[in-house]
Amino acid sequence: MDYSNLRRQAASMKKSLFDQGYLDEQFCQVEDLQDEASPNFAEEVITLFFKDSARLISNIEQALEKYPKDFNKWDAYMQQLKGSCSSIGASRMKSECMSFREFCGQGNVEGCMKSFQKVKREHGVLRQKLEAYFQLLRQAGPAGAATRPGM
Amino acid sequence: MRSEERNGAVGNQFPVGMRVLAVDDDPVCLKVLETLLRRCKYHVTTTNQAAIALRMLRENRDSFDLVISDVHMPDMDGFKLLELVGLEMDLPVIMLSVNGETKTVMKGITHGACDYLLKPVRLEELKNIWQHVVRRRFSNRERANVDVYEECSRPSNVDFDNVHSQITCGSPDQSGRPSKKRKEYHSEDEDEGGESNGQGNDDSSAPKKPRVVWSVELHRKFVAAVNHLGVDKAVPKRILELMNVDKLTRENVASHLQKYRLYLKRLSAVASQQASIVAALGGSDTFMRMGALEGLQGYEGFTSSEAMSSFSPQGLLNRNNLTSFGIQGMAASRPIQIATGNSTISHSTGDVNRYRLSLPGTSNRQGNVAQGLAASVGQVQLPQKWIQGENHDLSNIVSGNGFVNSVPGTLRSVTNSPLLQQDLVERRQAKMVIQPSSSANSERLEGTVGVSSSLMDSHVSQQGDFPLSVLSASALFSGTFASSNISKLGATSSGSTTICPSNDLRVARDNKMGASSFGSAIRLSPDTAQNQKYLNFGGGSSLRHNIDSENTDSLLVSKLVWSSLLNSQPPSTFGSQRPDNGSLGVKMIEPASVTAAPQMKIDTFDILTPKNTLELSFPRLNSELSSSSCSFDGLLNSIIKVEKDDASFSDDLGCDFYSLGACI
Repeated sequence: MDYSNLRRQAASMKKSLFDQGYLDEQFCQVEDLQDEASPNFAEEVITLFFKDSARLISNIEQALEKYPKDFNKWDAYMQQLKGSCSSIGASRMKSECMSFREFCGQGNVEGCMKSFQKVKREHGVLRQKLEAYFQLLRQAGPAGAATRPGM
Repeated sequence: MRSEERNGAVGNQFPVGMRVLAVDDDPVCLKVLETLLRRCKYHVTTTNQAAIALRMLRENRDSFDLVISDVHMPDMDGFKLLELVGLEMDLPVIMLSVNGETKTVMKGITHGACDYLLKPVRLEELKNIWQHVVRRRFSNRERANVDVYEECSRPSNVDFDNVHSQITCGSPDQSGRPSKKRKEYHSEDEDEGGESNGQGNDDSSAPKKPRVVWSVELHRKFVAAVNHLGVDKAVPKRILELMNVDKLTRENVASHLQKYRLYLKRLSAVASQQASIVAALGGSDTFMRMGALEGLQGYEGFTSSEAMSSFSPQGLLNRNNLTSFGIQGMAASRPIQIATGNSTISHSTGDVNRYRLSLPGTSNRQGNVAQGLAASVGQVQLPQKWIQGENHDLSNIVSGNGFVNSVPGTLRSVTNSPLLQQDLVERRQAKMVIQPSSSANSERLEGTVGVSSSLMDSHVSQQGDFPLSVLSASALFSGTFASSNISKLGATSSGSTTICPSNDLRVARDNKMGASSFGSAIRLSPDTAQNQKYLNFGGGSSLRHNIDSENTDSLLVSKLVWSSLLNSQPPSTFGSQRPDNGSLGVKMIEPASVTAAPQMKIDTFDILTPKNTLELSFPRLNSELSSSSCSFDGLLNSIIKVEKDDASFSDDLGCDFYSLGACI
C-alpha cells in the first residue's frame, strides 16, 4: 500500500514531467530497456547523463570565455550536449541547446549567452526533478518500475 | 565469437548474434545504444574512441559484422572512420548523428555509409540494421557468381554449415565469405565441385582467410590494371590476371573495384556539381567552396587508404567531371597521361611513376604546386601515400597538402623560369615534374608552370589536349592561391588536366563553364603577343601564333597564361573579351569573353584561376615575365599577387575557380 502509493506518486510525477515538456518519448524508451538483467538501467543512464552533461556544460562555459565569438567551437560543444539530451529524452534542455546553436549560426553572441544560461537552468531543474523521481521509485521498491505516464 | 558457438547459441537465427561494434564518444548515447542493440539480441562491443575501434577491427578482421559510429567524435572524424572501415575491411557502417541536415546525410552516404540514423536512435530502427550485413554479403557473392541464395537459405543444411554459420553469426568477415566463395569458385574451376563446401567449411570455420589489405602497392597495381583495361571496361577477372598477385581472389578485386568506382563516381559527382556551378558563373561562392571543401574533406578520408590513390587516375581522367578528379588526376597517372596526350608525358597506366612531370631544372623541387593541387582537393593525401614510393615528382604533386598553405610563398620563389622554359620547350612532352614539396616555393610553381608550358606546347600542336595545361593550371593555381584558393585551384587544376581533351575545353568554353575550363587551358590573354617572351615557354612561338590570331578571340587559345598575366590589366589581356577580365583563368570562363572567341583553340589553356589570384598574378607576371623569358616564377608570383590585389576577377567567376578546384 505504501509502496503502491509511492509508485503512484512516482507515476504522476513522471506524467507531469512529460506534460510540462521536460521529458519526451525517448525517456520511455530508456525506461523500457530496463529489465531483470539491468533493473536500474534508467537511473544509471540518467546519472551518467548528469555527470557527463555537467562536464559538457563546463566545457561550453570555458569556451564561451576563452574563445570569444568562436561560434564553431561553441556549436560543436553544444552539439555534443544536445546529443546527450536527446538520448535520454531531456526535451526542454534539448530545445534550449537547439536555440543556442541557432544563435551560433547567426553569430549572435548575446543570444548565445542568454540561451546558455537557459540551458544551465533547465539542466538544474531537470536534475532536481529526476532525482526526486528516482528517489521515489527507489522507495517504492525494486518492483516499482516506472510505467508510462497516464497508465 | 566462434561461428560454431554462435551457431549453437543462436540456433541459426541470424540476425541474432550479429556482431556489432558501436563507436560514440558520448557515454550516455553509447550506453543507451549498447542496451538497445542488446535488446535486439546482437552481440555488442562498444568503445568511445575511433582509434580503438579501428585497432579492434584491424586486429580481428573477422570479429565484427557491422559498425555503428557517431559522426562527431573528438579523436577522429566519423566520416574518416567510415571510409577506412569500408575500404580496409569492407564492413557495412552505419552513421549516427544528432545532425540530420541533408548535406551531412549526403556526406555520409557518399562516404560509403550504408545507413544514416538520427539520434536518438530507436529500437525499431536498430532491429533492421542486419539487412545491411546481408545485403553486402549478397552483393559480394553475386560478384563471385556464387549462389548466395542457396547459401543463405539453407538453415539446416549441414553442408552449408560454414556458410550458414557465417550468416547467422554475422559471418565474421567478408574475407571469410570470399574465401568460401572462392573455394567454391575455384573448385568449380578445378573441378572440385564436390569439395567446395567441405573446403569452404574448413577454410571458413577454422582459420578465417585473412582479409585482403589493400596496401599502397597493391592498390597501385590494381589501378594500373584498371587503367590498362579502361576503367569502364575493367572486369575483376582480367584485373586479377594483370595484377598477378598471389592469394588475391576475384572477389577481393571485385569488391575493391566496386568501391573504386563508387569513389570515382563520387568524385565526378562533386566535380560535375562544381562544374555546373562554375557554369552558372557566379554560382554561389559558398557552394563551390563547399564543393571544394567537400571534395577535400571527402578525400581526406581517402588519404589513409591506399586505394584512394588509385582512384584518381584513370577514372578521373576519363570523366568529364574532371574537375574533381583534376586533383586526383594529378596524383594519378591519368592526368599526366592526358597531358602528355599525344605525347609528352609518358604514358602511364595509372602508375604514379609514369607521371613524371619534370620541370626542367626543377625536377627536384618540391612540386608544391602539384601538391597544392592535390592538397586542395584533399585528395592529395591519397596520392601522396600512394605515390610516395613512385614518382617523386608526382607524389609531390599529390602531397600537395601542405602545398596549399605554402603556395603563396612558393610562387614567389619561382625562379627557374629560364630553366623551365628551356626544359619545357625541350620537354614538352613530358615530364612535368610537379614537385610535391609542400614548401611553398617557387619551385613548385615552376613545376606547374613548367608543366603548363609543356602542355602548351603540346597543346599548341594538338588542340585541345591539355593535359598538361591542366596540370599546370592547377598547379599554378593551387600554388598561387594560397589557402582556399589554392586548394581550389589545385583541385580544379587537376581536374582540368584531366580535361585535356579539347572537347572538354571547348565545351567548357562554350558553356562558359568554369568547370570545364578546368581542364581548359590557361587562357592567354589576347595580349599575349606582348608576352611573346612568355610564349617561349615550351613552344612559345607556336603560341605566339595562336595568340596573334586569337587576339580577339578568346583566351582559349593556347596562349600562355603568362601572357595574360603579362597583361597587367586584366581587361586588356582578354582583349575583346571581358573588360574586367583580369584573371586569366577565371575570366576566361566568362562566357562572353570566352565564347566570343570563335576559335576554340584548344591549345590555350584556360586557366580558371580563382578570381583574385589570376587577375592579380597575371598582371604582375607580365612584368616579371618580360624580364625573363616567361619565368614561371614571375607568373606564379604575379598570380599570387593578383590574388591578393585583385578581387575583380572574383566577381566574375565567383566561385568558379574554387569550384573547379573543388571539383578536382
